[in-house]
Amino acid sequence: MADRDFDYESTLEACARGDERAFQALYRQEAGPLLGLAISMLGRRDLAEDCLHDAFVRIWQHATRYRRDLGSGRAWVHSILRYRVLNALRSGHRHAEVDDDFIERVLDDSPQAEAQALEQSEQRLLRRCLQRLERPRRYPILLAFYRGLTHEQIARRLSTPLGTIKGRIRAGLRALQECLQA
Amino acid sequence: MIPHDPEERRALIGEYLLGLLDEPEAAEVRQLLDEDEQAARMALDWERHFLELSDRLPAQVPSPALWLRIRRSLGLHAERRPSALGNWWNSLLAWRLTAAVLAVALLVAVLLPLLRSPDIAGQRYTVVLQQPGEAAQPGWVIQVGSDGTLQLDPLVADQVPEGRALQFWTLVDPAEGPRSLGLVEAGKPLRLPAEQIGAVQAGQLFELTLEPAGGSPYDRPSGPVLYIGRAVLASAN
Repeated sequence: MADRDFDYESTLEACARGDERAFQALYRQEAGPLLGLAISMLGRRDLAEDCLHDAFVRIWQHATRYRRDLGSGRAWVHSILRYRVLNALRSGHRHAEVDDDFIERVLDDSPQAEAQALEQSEQRLLRRCLQRLERPRRYPILLAFYRGLTHEQIARRLSTPLGTIKGRIRAGLRALQECLQA
Repeated sequence: MIPHDPEERRALIGEYLLGLLDEPEAAEVRQLLDEDEQAARMALDWERHFLELSDRLPAQVPSPALWLRIRRSLGLHAERRPSALGNWWNSLLAWRLTAAVLAVALLVAVLLPLLRSPDIAGQRYTVVLQQPGEAAQPGWVIQVGSDGTLQLDPLVADQVPEGRALQFWTLVDPAEGPRSLGLVEAGKPLRLPAEQIGAVQAGQLFELTLEPAGGSPYDRPSGPVLYIGRAVLASAN
C-alpha cells in the first residue's frame, strides 16, 4: 500500500505551514491504510473512524512538531493513529473476539506480497526477522500489534502465565532489534 | 526506571509503542520521548519497521463524511482564499454590484414561480436498482429530491454473509471511475445529503456491491455487483 513516490516528509512540512491541500493529499494517501489498521485493532468500524478523525485532527495541529531528521513521516503519522487506538482500547472499548487466522498467515508470502517484496526488498526486513523468531516469542508480539492486546489479555488468550508472556515479548523484541540492525 | 543501556531502552520503547506498558511506566517513556531526541528517533525507527506489518492489512475506505468531519473539527470549512475575500469585502464597487445582483435575484425569485413550473430548485430523479442479468429483480429504490438529497430504500431484506458488507457506489464519469457513497445496511434505508452526492444527471449509474466487512479495500468496487440501475428523471409533480 505504501506509495514510494509519495513524499510524506515534505507533505507534513507543508501541513506545518498551513497548506490545506497537502493535508488533503495526506488524507487521500494514508486514511485507507490507517483505517485498515484501526479496524484490525478495534474490531469496530465506528470507533476506528473516530480514532482516524482524532488522529488527523492531531496531525494537522501538531505537524509543526514533526522533524524529518527524527525519522520517517509515514511512521510519525502511524504512531499518532496507534496511540489513539490504544487509548480507545484501554479506556474500555475491548473489541469482540475476532478471528486470528490472519495473524497466523501474516508472515506467509502470498504471490502479491512477493511482488511487493521484490519491489522494495529492504521493506521486508521486519517480517524476515519475525520469521526467524520461534513462534512462542513471535505470536504475542503480533497479537499486540494487530489486536492491541495487553500482556494480561495475551496471557489469557494463549493460556500462558503472565510472567512468561512478559519475558517472551521482551526477549522477542530484543532479538528483533538485533536482527533489524544486523 | 528508564534503563541507560541503549538496547534495553530501545526494547522498552518498542513495548511502549505496542501498548504493553502499565500507566506509570508508559508515562515515563512518554516523557522520555518528549525530551530525548535519541529516544524519539528510536520510536520512529520501530514505527517505520511496524509499517511493514500494517501494510499486510487491506486498506479500508473511510465514510465519505469523515473528511468533512475532520475539517469541521479543525474549523477549516471556509475554503476560500482569505486575501481575495478581504479585497472583495473592502471594495465599494463590489458591494454596489452585489446589491444590484441581489435585487435582480430577488425579482427573479418572486416572479419566476408565477411564470414557470414550480421545480426551479432542481430536478428529481428515481433509480430502481435491480439484480444484474436476466432475472432483473428490483431490490432497492433511490429517490433524489429537488434539493439533491438522496433517499435509498430497500424493497427486499438482503442476506449479507458474515464478514461481508454492502457498499453503495455511483458512476458519473467513466474515466474517473466509480465513487463510493459509503456502506449500506441490508434492509435499512439510507439518506445522504446533496453535498455528498453532487449533481445527479439523467442516466447516472448507481450500484450496490458485496464487499469485505468495512468496504472495498480499493477506491473502486472489488466484489460482485448485487444491484444496479440508472437515474431517470422523475415527472414534475
